[in-house]
Parts: sequence; structure tokens; C-alpha cells
Amino acid sequence: MGSEGSSVVVPRNFRLLEELERGEKGIGDGTVSYGMDDADDVYMQSWTGTIIGPPNTVHEGRIYQLKLFCGMDYPDNPPSVRFQSLINMTCVNPETKVVEPSLFPMLANWRREYTMEDILTQLKKEMMSPQNRKLTQPPEGV
Amino acid sequence: MGAGGDSSESRLGGNGGGEGGVTVNIRCSNGTKFMARTNLESTVGSFKALLAQNCDIPADQQRLIYKGRILKDDQTLQSYGLQADHTIHMVRGFAPSSSIPPPSATTNVATDNTTPGVTRGIGSNDGAGLGASLFPGLNPLGGGGGSGGFGLFGSGLPEFEQVQQQLTQNPNMMREIMNTPAIQSLMNNPELMRSLIMSNPQMREIIDRNPELGHILNDPSILRQTLEAARNPELMREMMRNTDRAMSNIEASPEGFNMLRRMYENVQEPFLNATTMGGNNGNTPATNPFAALLGNQGGSEAGSSPINTSTTGSETAQGQTSPNTNPLPNPWSNTAAGGGTQTNATARPNPAGDARTPGVGGMGGLGLPDLPPMLNGMPDASQLTQLLQNPAISQMMQSIMSNPQYMNQIMNLNPQLRGMFDMNPQLREMMQNPEVLRQMFSPETMQQMLALQQSLLSLNRQQSTPDSAQTGGTTAAPGTANLDLLMNMFGGLGAGGLGVPNQPDVPPEELYATQLSQLQEMGFYDTQENIRALQATAGNVHAAVERLLGNSGQ
Repeated sequence: MGSEGSSVVVPRNFRLLEELERGEKGIGDGTVSYGMDDADDVYMQSWTGTIIGPPNTVHEGRIYQLKLFCGMDYPDNPPSVRFQSLINMTCVNPETKVVEPSLFPMLANWRREYTMEDILTQLKKEMMSPQNRKLTQPPEGV
Repeated sequence: MGAGGDSSESRLGGNGGGEGGVTVNIRCSNGTKFMARTNLESTVGSFKALLAQNCDIPADQQRLIYKGRILKDDQTLQSYGLQADHTIHMVRGFAPSSSIPPPSATTNVATDNTTPGVTRGIGSNDGAGLGASLFPGLNPLGGGGGSGGFGLFGSGLPEFEQVQQQLTQNPNMMREIMNTPAIQSLMNNPELMRSLIMSNPQMREIIDRNPELGHILNDPSILRQTLEAARNPELMREMMRNTDRAMSNIEASPEGFNMLRRMYENVQEPFLNATTMGGNNGNTPATNPFAALLGNQGGSEAGSSPINTSTTGSETAQGQTSPNTNPLPNPWSNTAAGGGTQTNATARPNPAGDARTPGVGGMGGLGLPDLPPMLNGMPDASQLTQLLQNPAISQMMQSIMSNPQYMNQIMNLNPQLRGMFDMNPQLREMMQNPEVLRQMFSPETMQQMLALQQSLLSLNRQQSTPDSAQTGGTTAAPGTANLDLLMNMFGGLGAGGLGVPNQPDVPPEELYATQLSQLQEMGFYDTQENIRALQATAGNVHAAVERLLGNSGQ
């Protein structure tokens, strides 16, 4: 059976519905949260994610909000990811607060199986990395 | 990180209990979880105050996050789209440490685990769950069917293998069915038989892997012979004896045994692999038509010609000895039994006559078990009515209907029906009255019933658009569940009563045009894959989606 199954791809809307449910129910790693901005958006494009700053870093106690935009080509291509909160981080463009794919390998080497949850979790790991954990941060805010 | 998530769980019921609020899960940043009851109209501020009573974070330090958004105190919970059983994350703000677990967590006994399980549907990785929650209640019984293709229409007979067993235990009935004009005409059409066989994914896989078997299928005369044999036990026995002789001759010649072994390796093993594989997937013989076939075939054989069953078992012990005139032992009867996919004890001693490519004999029965799924798949009422107007079919229907014994058997096989009858003896009486039955199964009535069913189905589908699916399977109202039961019953009756494939000569693209476009709309763009899934599920979009998603999950 598996022989014919390998070529089947999960359609975009099924995939996003799955992610939506995971986000709403808080399934998985409890340190990130995400959901759809507009429940009526049939294309499920605009999402908000939250990363709780990991302990023992400068980010501890902070809550970072991000916008994720899933184009119609998601999940074949990665969503665009932009921080709403101020943050000083190597992979984030300080002007636009966009997570630069060239500096964030997960987006550059995107694979279809990756989810928004994976992105958020990976970003949180990035905050714990040696080059980021001690970076001085701007005062909390948007 | 999330590993700590299960460390403790607590529940705070009672608090807001009276005013009919909803239960939401609170997940703290340190991994602890608890549940809180609240009214969705209440503001975030007051909700925090409620939470403060149950954890060690004061309300003004709580920061609540839901769906990636930070909840503001002056908004209501409703405005964020919060629903029952959803999870809110709680973080301690302004305080350096958030790692102290709330005291309540240690004192309260962790009772029931109400985490997503109930409404999980979409979240789960297996496609089955997804499909089930996308179309809640559409197919409450067919769930076990998996890829088996018991569709919307005929899930009323979930124990289809029971029917088969019944059939095999009653060779007369089997023969009578095989002798009905409809089946006969079916068998005389090799093209049709071929498409029937090819529409069975397991069979197709076998043939794909073993082109030499394909030749057999391409030879109409062999097919007809096997079918003929399945119908006529005498012929079958004769054929078996012939092959036994041939086998013994082969075995007596030098290198003969090796050749037999090769034959076994080339032919029997793929079949067995396929059957056991299918068995693993589907768990029951019902989902593995092929396994059931072997059982079916063997069973009918055993029933009508007991000599085989009595001899094979003992003869395997002899092994290969000097040539004798008796029918040879079945060299692979052990392995066949080892396949273990059959529950039917009588089917176990795989009759030695199968020696001429063991599976082919089995195909004889293929027509029968495969038909109902095909019937199930016919979502189009017009196709069915066409079918019903076919004189051969109506004749068959009538002959079945006018035979109360058949009806009884069919009804007793359907547990739902049986339950209904037990509760309502009047109904049973009614069903046993041939006159009533004939009326009930008159084309007009059937048409009306189908129309009703169609409208019910579309109703159901409307209900289960992806939006409502977000809330999981809960949307299947009890009312519709009853309707489903009713529909299943009708479907089951129909499936039990008649069985002939629809327009087999139409290419699948045309046959499944509507279903294909539906799948396209859902986002399944691989037409070939879609067709394959639809063929495997006999045109049942719901099952096809499950199949597609289930496959991709691996």
C-alpha cells in the first residue's frame, strides 16, 4: 500500500486545518502558541504566533508576538515570518523585524513537512543559542 | 521542553459551575496544566481573577496567550474566539521566575484526562481520524472499513464476511446466486471480470508485481473456466483431480520438485504476502477481499465436496513419497493456514486443486464479495435506478425477494436489523411477507428511497463543512445519527439484495467525474492518484480522502 501512497501530498487546507487545531488545543510543545487571525478567512493565510522567552536567557519572561503569512503555495514554500515585538536577534532584520530566510536555515531549506509550530520552536531554540542568549534587548514593546 | 507538560494535572470544577460555562484548559509555562470553567462572556480580567484562586500567579501578573495572541483584560473571552476544550497558555509576567508549580497541582488528584482526545480528529496524524471528523457521523459504522470500501451506501453490512461465511456454509445458496442470470452474464463478459479484478487494489498490486499472473487474467477462457468451476462443484473437483495428477507427474520426474518449488515461490508467495499484508492493514477479512476470497472459495469447496478437507490434513504428513494415484497432498497447505487471515475454519485446508496457480481458483468467488463495495460506491441515484430497471437485475431481485429464506438470512446477518426486529416483532412479520417485500423493492419505491437517501447525504455533507469540523466530531447531532442508521439499513438491504457493478466499460475518469472534481476542489491535484483512490473505494469520496490522507501519513 505504501508504494502508491508516497506520492500523495496533503493539500494545503487540510494541512492548515490540522495546524489550526493543534494551535487551538495546545497540542505539542507548550511553549509556543499560534492561531489564525481571522477565523473567517477561508484561505487561512494570516496567523499569529507567540514565543515565550526561554528561561536563563535575556528573553526570559518576555512574550514575543509574530505574524506568519501562509501564501497559497504553503506548505510547499515557507510562510513569511515577521516579529511584531521588538527583538534583537541575529536572524531578524532589525528594520523590518522579518526573519530573514538567508539567516534562518529552516526557512532557507524549507521542507514540506515543517509546520508553523516547528518554525516557532526553532526560533525559540535560536534565542537560546550562544550568539543570541546574551544580546541586549530593546525595552519590551511593539 | 514540552516533556514537563504531563507532570501534573489538576482540575478546578465547581467554581463557575452553575451558570453553564465552558471548560478550558490552562497550560502554564512550566508545563503544568489545569482546567477552569468559565463563561465565555466574561472579560479576560475577571477570568484572570478566577484563575488566580487556583494557581500561585496573581491576576495582575498573569499573561494569557491564546492562538498566538495575548489576551487583553478588557476584552471578553468570546472576542478571541475561545471555545470549549481549547487551551490557553499562561505565563507569569514581570516576575523573574515562573517555575514554581501552583500548589493546587500537588494537592488535587489528577482525575480524568480530558485533553484533546475527544475532538482530536484533525490534529491526529492518521488520515482516518481526520476524515472522520471532517465528515462527522457520515459513516459511523464504516469506520472499521478502512480502505475496504464499505462506503456511504452499504455500511449497513459491516460484517460482510459473515455473509460470506454464511454463503460458504450454504453451498446451495452460493450456487443459486452463481446461477442467477445477472451473475451469469457477468461471468460471460471477461472484460468485465477483468475490470472487476483490476478494481481491487490488492489484486492489482499482485498483478503489477507479477506480470505473468496478468497473462492469466488476459486469457478469458481461463477466467471463464475458473468461474465455471466455482459454480459447479463437480467440475471443480474434476479440475482439481486433473491438476493433482499433473502435479504428481511433475514431482515424479527429476527436477520436478524444484520446479514446483519455484512455482510456489513465484506464485503462491506473492499472493500470501498480499493477503497477509492486507490483513495487517485492515485487521479483518472484510477489508481484505482477497483473503476472504480464498476463504470463500475454499469454504464452498469444503461444503460441497468434503473429501478434500478430510484428506489434505493427513496427507501433508506423508511428504513426498513414491508416486501414487491418490490426489497429491497440498504442498502449501501449511503456509496457507499460516497466512492466518481467515476465521473460517472450514476454509483452512486450501484445496489442493488450486495447484494450477492457486489464486486463480480463488478468483472464482471474486465477483461476489467485490460487488457490494462497488454498489456502495454508486453515489449517483440515477445510476442505481438505471441498474434497477435492468431486467436481469429486477429478475434477480425478485427471485431473492420472493424467497423468504434468503431475506431472513440477509436480515439476520445485519445486526442492526436484527436488533430492530427483536424490538419490534411486527416488523419482522412484515419483512417476512413476500408481498410487502416485493412492494418495498419495486423500482418506484427504491427510487424514492434513493432520492431520500441522496438528500439526506447532501444534508449531512453540508453540515460537515471544514468549519464545523474544527470543533471535531461533536457536530454530529444525534438526530443525524439516527438518519445514518436508517440510511445504512437501506443501504445494507440494497447491498444484500442486488449486486452488479455499474457500467464497467466507462473509463474511470468519466465514471468518477463528479467525485474527481470534488477531490480537486479539496486540493488533491494528482488525478491518477485520485482515480486510484476512488477505484479502491468504489467512488466514495469520503473513503477516498481517508485513503489519500492515510497513505500520505506513512
